[in-house]
Amino acid sequence: MLEKALKGSPKYWGWLGFLLVLIGIGAACWVWQLTVGLKITGMNRDVSWGFYIAQFTYLVGVAASGVMIVLPYYFHHYKTFRHMVIFGEFMAIAAVVMCLGFIVVDIGQPQRMLNVLLHPTPNSILFWDMVVLNGYLFLNLLIGWICLEKDRLHLPHPKWLKPIIYTSIIWAFSIHTVTAFLYQGLPGRHYWLTAILAARFLASAFCSGPALLLLVVLITKRVTSFDPGREAIRTLAKIITYAMAVNVFFFLLEIFTAFYSNIPGHMHSMAYLFTGIHGHNGLVPWMWTATVFGLGSLALLVTPALRDNHSLLPWTLGILVIATWIDKGLGLLIGGFTPNPFEQVTVYWPTGPELLISLMVYATGALVLTVLYKIATEVKQDLEVSQKDEVPGPA
Amino acid sequence: MSHGHAKEFKVRWGMVVDVDKCTGCGACMVACQVENNISPMVRQDKENYLPSMTFERDDPSNKMRTLTWLMVYELSNRKDYPDHEVAFLPRPCMQCGNPACVPVCPVVATDKNEEGGIVSQIYPRCIGCRYCMAACPYHARYFNWFDPIWPKGMDKALSPRTSVRPRGVVEKCNFCHTRFLKAKERARQEGIDPNELPEGYYTPACVEVCPTGAITFGDLNNPEHKVHQLAHGKYAFRLLEKLGLDPQVYYLTKRDWVRKQGDNYLANEEPHAKKH
Repeated sequence: MLEKALKGSPKYWGWLGFLLVLIGIGAACWVWQLTVGLKITGMNRDVSWGFYIAQFTYLVGVAASGVMIVLPYYFHHYKTFRHMVIFGEFMAIAAVVMCLGFIVVDIGQPQRMLNVLLHPTPNSILFWDMVVLNGYLFLNLLIGWICLEKDRLHLPHPKWLKPIIYTSIIWAFSIHTVTAFLYQGLPGRHYWLTAILAARFLASAFCSGPALLLLVVLITKRVTSFDPGREAIRTLAKIITYAMAVNVFFFLLEIFTAFYSNIPGHMHSMAYLFTGIHGHNGLVPWMWTATVFGLGSLALLVTPALRDNHSLLPWTLGILVIATWIDKGLGLLIGGFTPNPFEQVTVYWPTGPELLISLMVYATGALVLTVLYKIATEVKQDLEVSQKDEVPGPA
Repeated sequence: MSHGHAKEFKVRWGMVVDVDKCTGCGACMVACQVENNISPMVRQDKENYLPSMTFERDDPSNKMRTLTWLMVYELSNRKDYPDHEVAFLPRPCMQCGNPACVPVCPVVATDKNEEGGIVSQIYPRCIGCRYCMAACPYHARYFNWFDPIWPKGMDKALSPRTSVRPRGVVEKCNFCHTRFLKAKERARQEGIDPNELPEGYYTPACVEVCPTGAITFGDLNNPEHKVHQLAHGKYAFRLLEKLGLDPQVYYLTKRDWVRKQGDNYLANEEPHAKKH
C-alpha cells in the first residue's frame, strides 16, 4: 500500500517538502544540541524537565485518544465509525513516533539509550512507559495496516486480529496511566502527587486527542474526497463534550482539595500558575487563556445547536486544543517543578533552539501522519467512500 | 521496590550539621569540588570549539547550571533590622533511607545497596533522563549541562582516585565514597575489620575542612559515635521530614525559624521535634 503515498498532487508534495524543511531546520538545531549539550535548553537544576517532556506527555494523550473511536466501533459495534477507525489508529502511530522523538532529544546521553533494555528495571515507571509505548506503536501498526490491506482487497478482517484489537483498546488506557504514574509517584512534587492525576490525564486526552483528530479529519475532508460522514462527526463531537466536561470537573476537584485542605504544598503550584508568587507571574496569562478557552469550548460544546454547527465546530475544537495544550503541555510540568519543595521559584521558559528541536519532532509526526492518511484516504476512495452523507463500506 | 521497605544496614553513614555553628564561609563547597573533581565553570571551551556553534558558557555564579554537590544556602528570617537574622545551611545529598531517586531510575544507574547506606551513582550507565532529579525533593542531584573543563595546570591537581564525568549524566554527593574505600583499605592494613571502622577513619572532605567544626560525621547506628548522640538530641531535625524519605543527614539549631524553613508548615503550626 505504501506506493499510494508516492503518487500525489503538487499540493501534497509541496506540503511534504515544507515539512522536510521544518525537519531540516530543527535537525540542524538538534545537531547543535548533540554537539554542545542540553545547555542550549532552558532547563536547569530545579526544573530538570522542560518543554520536551511536556510535549511527550501531551502526545501520549493524543496517542491514547484514538481509542475513543476504536472502542465504540469494536465494543459497541457502532458502525458509523467504520471509516474513522483507521484514522484514529494512524493518528496514534504518528503521536507515538513523536513521543519517542521527544524522549530521544531530551536525554543527555542518547547513545546509551539501549541501557533501558540492557538493565531492565521493573521498579522504574520510565521503563514501563518505554514498554507500553513501543507496544502500543507495534499494536497500532499491526492492526491498522492489516485492516486497511483487507479493506483494499474487499476481504473481511481476519478473526485472529480481534483479540489483538481488544488488547490495544485496554493498552491505550495503560499508556496514559503509566505516563501519569511517571509524575504522580514522586514525593515532594505536590502538583503531581495526586491520585486523580491519571484520571485527569485520560480525561484531558480523550477530549484533546479526538478534537485534534477531528480537526485533521476535517482538513482531510477538504483536501481529499474522503468524507467521514456527518453522523460520525456529530458523535465524535459528543464524545469530546463529555470528556471535556469530565476534564474540567477533575481539575476543579484538584482546586477544592488544595484550597479547602489548606495544605501549603498543594496550594503553592496553583498559586504560581494562576496568580504568580514572589513576583514571578510568567505563566499567569497562559493559564487564564487556558481557563477562558477551556470553559468557552465547553460552553460551545454542551449547547447542541452550537455543537452541531459544523462551520463553528473547528473553532470550538481549536480553542479546546489550545486550552488542553496549555494545561498539560506547559502548566502541568512547570507547575510541578515550581515552586520547589522549599518554596523557591526558578523560572523556566523554553529557549529558541529548544522550540526548534520540538518543531522538528512535531514536523516528523506531521510527515508520518500525512503519509499514513494519504494511504488511508486513497484506499477509502477506491472503496468509494466519498462525499456522501450515508457511509457505504466494505462488505 | 524500595518503597516502604527501606533497606536495613548494619552501618549507616550519616552527617549532623550544626546550623548555628556554620558561618557560611563556603570552605566545605570548595573542598567538595576539589576532592570530587568537579571542574570549575570557565567561560570559554577552547578544546571543543566549533565556529559559530559554540558560545560562551554560563556564569560560574549561576548555581542552576553548575555542579554543587554540597551547596550552602543562605536562610533569612525575613524580618527587618534589628530583628534580622540569617543562617547558613549546607546541603549535601541526604543519602535517604528511603530514597525517592533510586526506584525511578530506568537503567539502575543509582542504587542504595552497599553497607553504609550511601546512595550510589554509576556515571557510565546513566542515560541522562534526569528522572532522579525530578524525584529528589532536595535538588541534591546535578546534571552535567556542560563538558568538564580544567584550565591549564589545574588538571594536574585532580584527585587520582575519583573518576571524572562527561557531559549529559547526572551526579551527586556520595559522602566522598573514594575516601570510604581508602578508609577500608587502611583498616585492612591495620588489621581492623573494614566493616567496623573506628570513628574518624572515614571522613568526607567537607567535614574535614570545616573551620568551625559544624559538621560531624559517623555511623548513625553506632551509639558510640558522636553523630548518633547528636542526631537523637533535642535540637535535631531533618529537611522535609514529613515526606518520609528518612534522610541520613541531620541538622541542629536552637532557632525555631530555621527549623520552620526546613519543611512545609501551616501558618499557625509549630515545627515539631524530630520523630525517632
